[in-house]
Amino acid sequence: MKTIAVALAVARKDLRSEWRTRELVPALAQFIVLALVIANFGFQIDSRNAPAIAPGVLWMALVFAGLVAFGRAFAAEREQSSLEAMLMTPASPSAIFAGKALAASLLLILCEAVLLPALALFFGVPLSFEVVSAVLLATVGMAVLGCLFAAMVARVRARELLLPLLTLPLWIPFIVFGGQAVQAAMGGSGGAGNSSGLLIDLDILFVVLTSLTARFVLDD
Amino acid sequence: MSVIVGSSLMQRFGSEVALDGVDIEVDAGEHLAVLGDNGAGKTTLLRILATAARPTSGSLEIFGLNAIIERRRLRSVIGFVAHAPGLYPALSARENLEFYCTLQGVEHTRVSEVLELVGLSELAARPADKLSRGAQQRLAIGRAVLHDPKLLVLDEADASLDSGGADLLARVMRGRTAVIATHDHALANRLCQRTLLLRRGRVVGVPTRLRVVQ
Repeated sequence: MKTIAVALAVARKDLRSEWRTRELVPALAQFIVLALVIANFGFQIDSRNAPAIAPGVLWMALVFAGLVAFGRAFAAEREQSSLEAMLMTPASPSAIFAGKALAASLLLILCEAVLLPALALFFGVPLSFEVVSAVLLATVGMAVLGCLFAAMVARVRARELLLPLLTLPLWIPFIVFGGQAVQAAMGGSGGAGNSSGLLIDLDILFVVLTSLTARFVLDD
Repeated sequence: MSVIVGSSLMQRFGSEVALDGVDIEVDAGEHLAVLGDNGAGKTTLLRILATAARPTSGSLEIFGLNAIIERRRLRSVIGFVAHAPGLYPALSARENLEFYCTLQGVEHTRVSEVLELVGLSELAARPADKLSRGAQQRLAIGRAVLHDPKLLVLDEADASLDSGGADLLARVMRGRTAVIATHDHALANRLCQRTLLLRRGRVVGVPTRLRVVQ
């Protein structure tokens, strides 16, 4: 019970700070829209190739937005010297980590609420339940992994460089299966059912793994 | 009875030795001032005593527990004021403390008491980044005593405090064991019974008993 209360308090604190400062979400939303505009001009898009190109653009935008969102989750704590104050309490580091990951995921979901309609608008692809669910399922796994590595590199000087180097290889399965699920939902080839199932499996695996390792990463 | 018993505490950062075989003993209810020039090892020692850092070698017992292994258990009885206030700038003074109440497992009703104690009741609704540096330091001190700790570790907590700062520190240290690092010898003389002088990571001389000024 205490673990849930701590995780929710940490998430609420992060979301409240973001709501008041509006540092991250507006910038990420702008970045996403710009990425889509550039992709729209860069590719010769028509009704035949849109379902093949749109998923790639979607995941590219999501990956880079995610790197920024998850990187900021712990970088801000470090800049404010507040991470240590949090860890100096008897609260479980895993609960603190869960709260940070929850807040970062919700902020990314907010950006996805801009990304998905914009993608449908620019590429003329259908925005279905399957597309939304694939993106949300991938967000969960990407968030826990992204936050774990963000916590790991928060104390390192070259963290902006290290975070993508550590995170991207482990995000590849989410991009592959998420891409397949989205492509199938948009009318391309691929098995959406299998991919969604695999995304759920990956989510469970990485949520369990990161919650077990978070305390070693945070409480050095 | 000794609350802190540290023996041969050593801390290395690469090839640099920050603490070199420091022995420390603090009795229950005692106030110890750690003095020394910049780079003497005061912060390193206090971070180890607050369980924020692990020493490279040596042993440390706090309240009879191994402070290197049982850090999480000890954190519910230790209050630590670090160099930086470590506050959330967008949250108000009250919200900062309420957040830490949840993390400490303390009722939110404690917040008003603490704000009163540190003299921030009137600034409770102001965001932390709109507080003066002294008020931020008061808030950090408030956060350290939120859970009513038995041991207070204060790393230059007097920095940025106004003329009422010494009174505030005396109030929060009363009834608790406390270790405070400071450059202010007059403050150490007023608040503490003993001093420990550090130079280049080593204790110089024997801990001195101070004249307590009424």
